[in-house]
Amino acid sequence: MPRLPDPRFAPDCTIRFDGERIPARAGESVAVALLAAGRAVLARSAKYHRPRGAFCLAGSCHACLARVDGLPSRRTCQVPCRPGLQVETQNAVLGASRDLLAAIDRLYPRGLDHHHLMTWNGLANRAAVAFSRKLAGAGTLPAEVQPVPPSPADERFDAVVVGAGPAGLGAAAALARQGRRILLAEAERAAGGRLRCAFDLPGDPPLTWAPEVERRVRAAGGELALEACVAGAWRDREEHVLLVAEQDPLRPPRLVRTRRVVLATGSSALPPLFPRNDLPGILAERGLAHALAEDGLVPGARAIVLGTSPEGSALAQRLARAGMDVRAAEAAVAVRGASRVSELVLAGGERLACDTVVWAGERAPASQLGRAMGAPARWLGGAGGWALAIRPTGETAVPGLFAAGEVTGGMTAAEAALSGERAGEAAGA
Amino acid sequence: MPSAKTLVCTCEDVTLAEVRRAFAEGYRDLESVKRYTGFGTGPCQGKSCLALVAGELLRLGATPAEVEPFTPRLPVDPVSLGRLAALDPGGLPLALEAPVAALPGGERGPRPGSPLPARADVVSVGGGIMGLALAWNLTRRGVRDVVVLERSYLNAGASGRNGGGVRAQWSTPTLIRLGQRSLALCAEFAVEMGINVWMRRGGYLFLAPTTEQAARLERNLRVHAENGLRTRLMSPSEAARIVPQLDPSRFLVAAWNPDDAVVFPWPFLWGYARRAEAVGAKVLTFTRVTGFERTGARLSAVVTDRGRIACETVVNAAGAWSKEVAALAGVALPNRPTRHEILVTEGTKPWLGPLVSVLGSGLYFSQSQRGEVVGGMGDPSEPEGIALGSTPRFLARFARAITLCAPATAGLRVVRSWAGCYDVTPDNNPILGAAGPPNFLQLSGFVGHGFMMAPAVAELMAGWMAGDPPDEIFTRFTLDRFQRQAAPAEDFVIG
Repeated sequence: MPRLPDPRFAPDCTIRFDGERIPARAGESVAVALLAAGRAVLARSAKYHRPRGAFCLAGSCHACLARVDGLPSRRTCQVPCRPGLQVETQNAVLGASRDLLAAIDRLYPRGLDHHHLMTWNGLANRAAVAFSRKLAGAGTLPAEVQPVPPSPADERFDAVVVGAGPAGLGAAAALARQGRRILLAEAERAAGGRLRCAFDLPGDPPLTWAPEVERRVRAAGGELALEACVAGAWRDREEHVLLVAEQDPLRPPRLVRTRRVVLATGSSALPPLFPRNDLPGILAERGLAHALAEDGLVPGARAIVLGTSPEGSALAQRLARAGMDVRAAEAAVAVRGASRVSELVLAGGERLACDTVVWAGERAPASQLGRAMGAPARWLGGAGGWALAIRPTGETAVPGLFAAGEVTGGMTAAEAALSGERAGEAAGA
Repeated sequence: MPSAKTLVCTCEDVTLAEVRRAFAEGYRDLESVKRYTGFGTGPCQGKSCLALVAGELLRLGATPAEVEPFTPRLPVDPVSLGRLAALDPGGLPLALEAPVAALPGGERGPRPGSPLPARADVVSVGGGIMGLALAWNLTRRGVRDVVVLERSYLNAGASGRNGGGVRAQWSTPTLIRLGQRSLALCAEFAVEMGINVWMRRGGYLFLAPTTEQAARLERNLRVHAENGLRTRLMSPSEAARIVPQLDPSRFLVAAWNPDDAVVFPWPFLWGYARRAEAVGAKVLTFTRVTGFERTGARLSAVVTDRGRIACETVVNAAGAWSKEVAALAGVALPNRPTRHEILVTEGTKPWLGPLVSVLGSGLYFSQSQRGEVVGGMGDPSEPEGIALGSTPRFLARFARAITLCAPATAGLRVVRSWAGCYDVTPDNNPILGAAGPPNFLQLSGFVGHGFMMAPAVAELMAGWMAGDPPDEIFTRFTLDRFQRQAAPAEDFVIG
């Protein structure tokens, strides 16, 4: 059962995947439609031609790239389906599921040392350089590209909140309450962040909070921009200048000036670290929870939830209710599978059959933008990444730059909402 | 079933084993591991892999100072050239600049593993390609007591920030000769030095959009023919057969030398450093020169933030920092360090053979071995000074220029931009030979062509230091030429 049997989730259009017709729901992501159709392998990897498919389902890992409507390397988890959309696999000879060049992976089981490959002889070296150039690069240059209209004049807002998860919503609510005209920029197609995952953990704000905040933002003259990614930020004296790029490849980017920025960019899923951790069928818990809640995606028949987070347990119950055979495991040493995960290997050597591994392990703060803006970050230990360093008010060391939520360290949705409120209060003062 | 690899970077297929191997080979700090393994250089720009690799390096025994996160490069999320071209560069002053952390090094930076030697025959201030190539060439000439001092990691300066072009198409016989020699040395590098540099002779294609620029190409053509280059002039339609994506209405004539090339810059530094070290030279990273000691007119020691090294000869190979270093020895160089920005797109299958350069605009671009478009563009309004921040103005200017020149590039997404510094001299020629103290030798003043010239110039310089008669470059390109009379300027620097 690829989807929950709810009429809301019934496919209403068709996209093409390498020419084949795939049922889809308009507006859901291409990656979700393909997973629902049992197509976990979207491409072959850059060097070893290993099978590649969606992992984070949230736009950060770039594992789900495919050519879409003639444009190479688009993140299919961020591209909405519409009737007739053309999706093509990249970097595969004879198709992604039985790529001839996968032999490279088997020829070099311990990895290919590109620095010292064929350096013993001039002829061999020239051949290696020529051959590897042919293999390099995913996708091909677009044949023709539609023009993008000029960007609008610079816009000004009292404040910009980057990210509309619980922390961003908290900040936006606080700013709107103070009458500030703000831009709330959200990279996904709807506001809510992890509230859209329907974990329903104790203390979680309800998802209905998102439209409520949106109304308040609009009432104060502000805007919620969806599918809007802040790709760069610079300082011009007292102002921050933000480059806001929407997902639509034909929309011109916007330049937004503001004196106050609240970063609520959340966190990114990190893959587990064990052999074949890149196999399709391993999905990050938040991405999958979100696709299950909003698109009714049931990714297979047998799932193993790996890790011990409360979110993972909540998702396990929902997957079981959706009819999947679900088991939990605290830790694993490997996965196995041909082009999709088929077994999880436990420390004692025991193998658990599955077609889906739900990874509920560590996440890292999505602190790139904050660090690019000059905000100091602190190492969280383990492989937890760098969190933006803030004062209790949410201020960073950069004037006018605030941060809240998981970009400042792991926390529950309720805590994130509260930290957003605090940062919004301070930013609006 | 795929083999049992554990991947840390799925964009570029970098395995956990590769990270461990890099660490074991001495690439310990995050910036070096990034460059040596390639992790974090794909479209996700480290969103998934940076924390994993940092955690692994700490487990392997790296110090926290070695595991500072690398500077996030803009754009933080890929944006296509077509969309960046929609921005008006006129509304984007250069002052809009991303803050950059200081280069790793200094008091709280990583500490080098090996101790500072008490003395050396030759100390190179600067561990870019100039200093390292010189060190290796000196060891080949029997001068093995050489120390190279690098203030940060290898490839931190312009040697690790350039576009990797190597050409012989210059406007003077001297630079043509040096370019030809460098091309020959680059072609042998992988086998001779045991590390791949991915040299590809796709040629350089210069496009002349005006009759004035066309006349420049015609002038050069005669010099090229006299000096044995295979340069040809061609019509726009002929040039479009070499690069079908070019818009032939945008230029009048093109010059093409099929023997020019692009390389991958980073492994040159590792190759020179490793081979020089293997025969006794010392390459000390994260070691900053703070002054010199004198005995009479001569420099007698180099003072660093880790102690002093007594020495016979000091070479100033500090690139954009050469003026600062010379000032420490009381020598005033006329060099003006000037920022030069560059970017890279996502990789696609091969479509672009040559490095394309549009005369007059400063635009140049090529396709790397990994399939990325790598390109830069000089900005006449760029002020003098060392600056390593990226600007949205550059993104917009470059995007406009390249999408006019090759419209299909509009669909390619920019994944990363960065900046390095040219070491600009009044006549665009280098400064070589002694200046001030008789044992203070200059190896600086390359205006965006230092990387490509280094293999040839370092070879000549090492020969001269080892007793060969001086090549004309060591008498022509001395600092005192600026007192004598206006020397003819090199007019074929690009970017």
